Parts: sequence; structure tokens; C-alpha cells
Amino acid sequence: MDFDNSKPIYLQIVDVFYENILARKWKEDERIPSVREIAVMVEVNPNTAIRAFNHLQDEKVVYNKRGIGYFVSKNGYQTVLDIKRKEFMEEMLPDVVKKMKLLDIKFEEFKNTYDQYVNDIDDEKK
Amino acid sequence: MIKIENLRFRYPKSKTILNDVSLSFESGNIYGLFGRNGEGKSTLMKIITGLLFPKGGACEVFGENVSRKHIRCLQEVFFIPEDFELSALKISKYEEMNSVFYPEFSKDQFYELIKEFHLSPDENITTLSFGQKKKVLIAFGVATNTKLLMMDEPTNGLDIPSKSQFRKIIARIADQGKCIVIATHQVRDLHSLINHLVILDQSKVIFDESLFEVSEYLWFGKPIEKDKHAIIYGEPSLGGKAVLPKLDKDETEVDLELLFNAVLNESDRINQVLKKKYYDTSI
Amino acid sequence: MTHQFSYRRIYHFIRRDLTIRKSNISTALIVVSAILFIFFLINLREDYRISVGEFISVFGLFYIPLGVLLTFFICKESHDPKANHLYFVLPVSVYERMAAIWFTATILYTIVFSILSFLAGQFAILIGGVLFGTDFHLLPMLSGEYLGLVMFFCIIQPVFLVGALTFKKNRIGKTLLVFVMVFFGVIIYNLILFTMLNYRYDVHLGDTFASEAFGMAQNDFSLFGMLFFIGLFGPVMLFVAYCKMVEKEV
Repeated sequence: MDFDNSKPIYLQIVDVFYENILARKWKEDERIPSVREIAVMVEVNPNTAIRAFNHLQDEKVVYNKRGIGYFVSKNGYQTVLDIKRKEFMEEMLPDVVKKMKLLDIKFEEFKNTYDQYVNDIDDEKK
Repeated sequence: MIKIENLRFRYPKSKTILNDVSLSFESGNIYGLFGRNGEGKSTLMKIITGLLFPKGGACEVFGENVSRKHIRCLQEVFFIPEDFELSALKISKYEEMNSVFYPEFSKDQFYELIKEFHLSPDENITTLSFGQKKKVLIAFGVATNTKLLMMDEPTNGLDIPSKSQFRKIIARIADQGKCIVIATHQVRDLHSLINHLVILDQSKVIFDESLFEVSEYLWFGKPIEKDKHAIIYGEPSLGGKAVLPKLDKDETEVDLELLFNAVLNESDRINQVLKKKYYDTSI
Repeated sequence: MTHQFSYRRIYHFIRRDLTIRKSNISTALIVVSAILFIFFLINLREDYRISVGEFISVFGLFYIPLGVLLTFFICKESHDPKANHLYFVLPVSVYERMAAIWFTATILYTIVFSILSFLAGQFAILIGGVLFGTDFHLLPMLSGEYLGLVMFFCIIQPVFLVGALTFKKNRIGKTLLVFVMVFFGVIIYNLILFTMLNYRYDVHLGDTFASEAFGMAQNDFSLFGMLFFIGLFGPVMLFVAYCKMVEKEV
């Protein structure tokens, strides 16, 4: 895995979990890879992977069944969705708005491009 | 696991390599041992593995004076030197001849790793390139399952895919009972594995800190204008990246290269922020 | 508690030492066997027999030099800057290393070399029978001289072991030089001692009485010398070699 240096690696691992859960690759109440498997997969110190798992447990996205392993929580998908939505609204959107203001992009202009992309994505799905 | 106290070392007719070095290495960690060329990284590793004898101070491994070469000690230590030559045998013969000395050796693990490295047990070691020999030795060292694994520049000579394989292998074997020490200049190859950093400079330990601790107190990145006054160490060449006290900023990943340069240049200030002092008082 | 001395580890270590040098050692043994065979054959042409003396002179010509070479060859790994890290981190205690090296270079070597020379000699007798009608006879190998030679080798081998472990370059030459110097030193010391002890008696060679004393003194000295050699010299040298191994660094 390629890490960028801006964010702690354990949070980047958390992001990989979020992506997999949002993409429904990992479904609710399904077993997910172990700490060691994740550490090997992303080539990090197992301590870092443990930190990622602890963070996910704190966020109630995954839970631990003693002696069996980690599972995605019952409403894991919803939890992740909420977290990522919040992150988008609070962190990414303000940046976008700032950039739009800087480049003097009107909302109408933005909306057209937005609609076009949404259509493209829908087309792709069909 | 390893306890080093006031260690001194010099080669005959040369300057002091290690002067009053005190360190301890605990299991469950992957230590990165950094330092400029010739600052005693390899020497320290050779002392810990009993290949060189301290000229002063003590070096204990598993509670034993390592210079005595106690069997119990040797059986729990494996050392992968930077430059080495292996006997002219088939890989399988090499394993057979040397593995018997290690009580925890796993043949399955060894041959699995050999396969992973795209080598065949029937190949003769003399026909292998240096990088391939290194793979054989890494596979062997890992399969010995010793509690202490010391590696001097393990990724030197490895091709690009093997470096990633190497990281996977180390991630797989690292556990609570094991201590791994890696001396390296290849920071980028290994930064995701290391969780504790030791820096040697001018024959002393100038930095000895867990990276978790570092990420709690230091911030790495491009500072915004109002933070610029707080820069401890900055590097214009790296796109304005700098080290700052973290304070209430978001946690960042520890940039080992930047941290290394920062410690070499500003060890006092860095250690002050971490509330530790390693600077020299004896001279 | 792990023991510092295990016969199993010694066995494995000997096996390892021999396996990594297999090709060199076997080549040397084959070549020497062939040379022995030729020497014996030449010997047979003259009197159709190999006597005890003839066997010992041919055997001794190769037995000791080859044994010395083997000692140096086995210790080479400890000086190789690229191989000695791995050699010394191998979990084998110093006692075991020394025991393994000593056993290989003396006992094992003597057995193997004796068998090979016996076979070479016996084969030469067989071939000699075909070529020039030698009478078949058993090679007179086991004799007092043979045992003496083996004993002599076992006693001086530790000297070369010390040399092999001490010197890094020109190991054989330096060892021989030191050995010769020590040898002369002992002789000169003996001479001085002898002169001092016998000074008062005013002994001169040629006097009947004096030559008797001389003869007695000689006997005493050779007995002392023998005891010194057999009982002390070998073990002391082995101990020195052990100390050299203990303090060996890469």
C-alpha cells in the first residue's frame, strides 16, 4: 500500500476499511481480516494495525468476538456513512467552496458539472 | 531483552566508535537503528550478537553477557549482516546443515519463503546473485524463529518487488515475543514497519523514542503561515516540509527522513519537546 | 538449562564443516590416494614387497603435511571477513567448536587417511602382482612406527591449530616460523640447563665417566621431554587454541 505522509498510517488503514464497507465488500456481521492479515496486506508494523482496529472499535464500526476475530458491526455501514458524510461536509466541502470562491466559479456552473457527473455515474451503473 | 549500559567501543588504532552508549531493546517492537555512515550502527549490532567485545560497559542479551557466547543466547539470536558470503551448497543443503542448530527452526516456513522469493531449493548458492543470496539468508533468519532478529541493511540488494515482500514477511513475524532491530539508510523502504527509532551520532545515542510518542508531540508537514515561527527544523528542498511541536494540531504520520535530519541538526530542541535530554554533558 | 556441551551439536558441526568443504577435501584425498598408489607401486618394483619402513616413509610423507593443511583449511572460515559473522553466530559453544575441529583434524582424518593409504597400498600390491609378479601380502600397516607417527601428529597438530586461529595471513608460514623458533628456544634452554647442571662435574665428551653421565642426562632429558610433549604440550596448545577461539572477534 502507498501511504501519503499527511495522515497517520493507522488512519489511512481505517480509510481502507471504510471504503470496503461503503463498497459493500465487507458486509455487516461478516468476518473481516485479522490484525496480522491487515498488517501483512498493507505492510505495516502490527502495532499500527492494532491501532487502526482500536480506532474502528471506538467508532463502533467493527466489534471483536473473543477468539474468533473482528466483524463489521450490525449497523456498520450506516455508521461509516455518517462518519464519511460528516468528514465530507466538514473537511472537504469547505475547501471546495474556498477554491470556488478563489477561482470565481458560480454555483450554476458548479451545478451543471455536478449533474453531468451524476449522469455519467448512473450510466456506468447501467 | 537487550540491555546496554555505558558501552564503549573502539577498533584498534581508530577513533572511538561508541562512547557511553546506554540502550534497551524490548520484545514486541521493531527498532530502526539510524545514523550517518560510520557512526557505529553495524558495530553496535556486532556487539549485541557477540561478534565484537565491548571495551567498556556491559551488553546483556536475555540476561547473559553476550561476549560469553552462551548457547541459550546464541540460539535466540539471528544476525543478517550487510555483506556476507554463503557456503557453496544447494539451498536445501544449506538449510539442512545450519538449521539443526536452531531449536525453533521451521522448515515449512523456510521453503515457503524460498518459494515466495522465486528461488528453488535445488539451486546452488554459488550461482545466485547477491540479492538472491540475501533472500536465502533472510528466509533462513526468519525461519530460525529466534526471539531477536538483527538485520543490517536488509533491503540493500533487494529488487523492488522483494522490498514489498520483505515488509510483508516482517509484518507477519513481528509479535509480542519477538524483537526485531533493523539498521538502515533506506528509510523509505522500511518506515511503515519501524515503531521505535534509535539514532546514533558522534558515538552517542542522540535519540531513542517510540514513534507513537513522537507522533503525540511532533507535527510533520507543510506549516501554515501563522505556525511558521514555531518551526523546529525545516527543509526547503522537501517542498517546505517542517517539524513543529504538535500542540493541538491533528496527528500526522512521522516522516522518518525529516525526523532523522531534524534530530541530526536540532537534537536538543527535538528532545526538549519530547521532554527528554540526550545531549552530551561529558565533553 | 541449555548445556554448553552436546555431542549432537558437535556431530552436526563436524558434518557442516565437512559438507561445505566436501569437494575440496575429496579432491585432495583422491589426488593423494593416487600419488600414494604410484609411490607404493614404484616401491614394489624394487623388491616386490612393502616393508614396514617403506610404508611408514611413504605414509608419513603425506600424512602430516596433509593433516596440517586440513587444520588450516577448517579454520579458514573464522578469518573470512564475509563468512565469519555467520560462522560465529551459529549456536555452537566454543568447547564444541574446538572439540569438533580437533576431532575432525586428528582422529577422523587419521582414520580416513589410514584406510585410504591401506587401500592404496593393498591395491598397489594387487596391481603389482599383475604387472611384475609381486607376491600377494597384507600391507604391514599397524606397527609401532605407525602408532608413533600418529601420536606425533596428534601432539603437534594443536600447534598448527593455534597458528591457524591466530594468524590471518600466511598462516602456515608464520606458524612454522614460530614453531621452529620455540623448538630452538627449548633446545637452547635445555642446553643452558644441561650446562648449568653439569658445570661442576666438568664433563667432557669422550671421557668414559663423562659420557656415561652424558648418556644418563640424555635419557633423563628425553624422558622428561617425552612426558612434557605427550602429557603437557598437546593439551596446553589445545588450551591456547581454545583461548584464541574465545577471544576471536570478527
